[in-house]
Amino acid sequence: MDYMILSVVLLAVGIYGLLTRRHLVKVLISIEIIAVAASMNFVLLASSLNRPLGEAFLVIAFSTDACVTAIVLALLVIIAKKYGTCDIRKLAEIERSANERQTSVEA
Amino acid sequence: MIVELLAVGLVVSACLAIYLDEAVYSIASLACMLILMAVLYAINDAVFVAVFQLAVSAGTLAVLFLAGEMLSEKPEKGKSLRKIFSIALLAVVLSLPSIFLSVAVTPVNVSPGFSFADALWSFRAIDVILQGLVIMTVALGIAIVFYEQKADES
Repeated sequence: MDYMILSVVLLAVGIYGLLTRRHLVKVLISIEIIAVAASMNFVLLASSLNRPLGEAFLVIAFSTDACVTAIVLALLVIIAKKYGTCDIRKLAEIERSANERQTSVEA
Repeated sequence: MIVELLAVGLVVSACLAIYLDEAVYSIASLACMLILMAVLYAINDAVFVAVFQLAVSAGTLAVLFLAGEMLSEKPEKGKSLRKIFSIALLAVVLSLPSIFLSVAVTPVNVSPGFSFADALWSFRAIDVILQGLVIMTVALGIAIVFYEQKADES
């Protein structure tokens, strides 16, 4: 059983989700999976090499991860309130049409 | 054997969390993955990290459930069970390399001479204190963002 390969597989699944999913909640879930894959590598290597410093580092990394999730969720709620959607493509279209409107007003 | 089953469960639940359309099912799958990860940590003698993982993921998942329910629309057509099973099967295949292959890592049997608590409080004490500051700053920042948003609306 090799945890490093398992970590790479989880990382690949997370990156696939990050690239293909359009809903922002799914993007956040993909980021969570990537973070879990990275932390798993850290903890299990530290544990197998009998180095508790790696585990201590992870406790700090978890809180940073929770902060990232909180900020992304706050931004998500604001975006959903402002634009009425969480779909990345629809948001890009809204942004593009707003830019076009602004340039036509300036012209 | 149990570790191999956990690895398969981890990859399957990660794939389903990405694949399922409905946010609530997706987050339930993520919850399953995080719990399996905590069990894997506990089996590998990283009990403190496992407990911390469970505590942090409980909070994250509660907020994600609320946000997922609030922000996502119900898909008109659900995914068929056949497709879900095929994705689960693909995930099982993806998890096989981690079970049967191995990357050579030179084992180090040197005892570090300190425990987890020593590592946390002797080497990382400032980080632990500063992380409390970071969490407070984040909470304050989010409160300010929502306050500004409310002020803009009114």
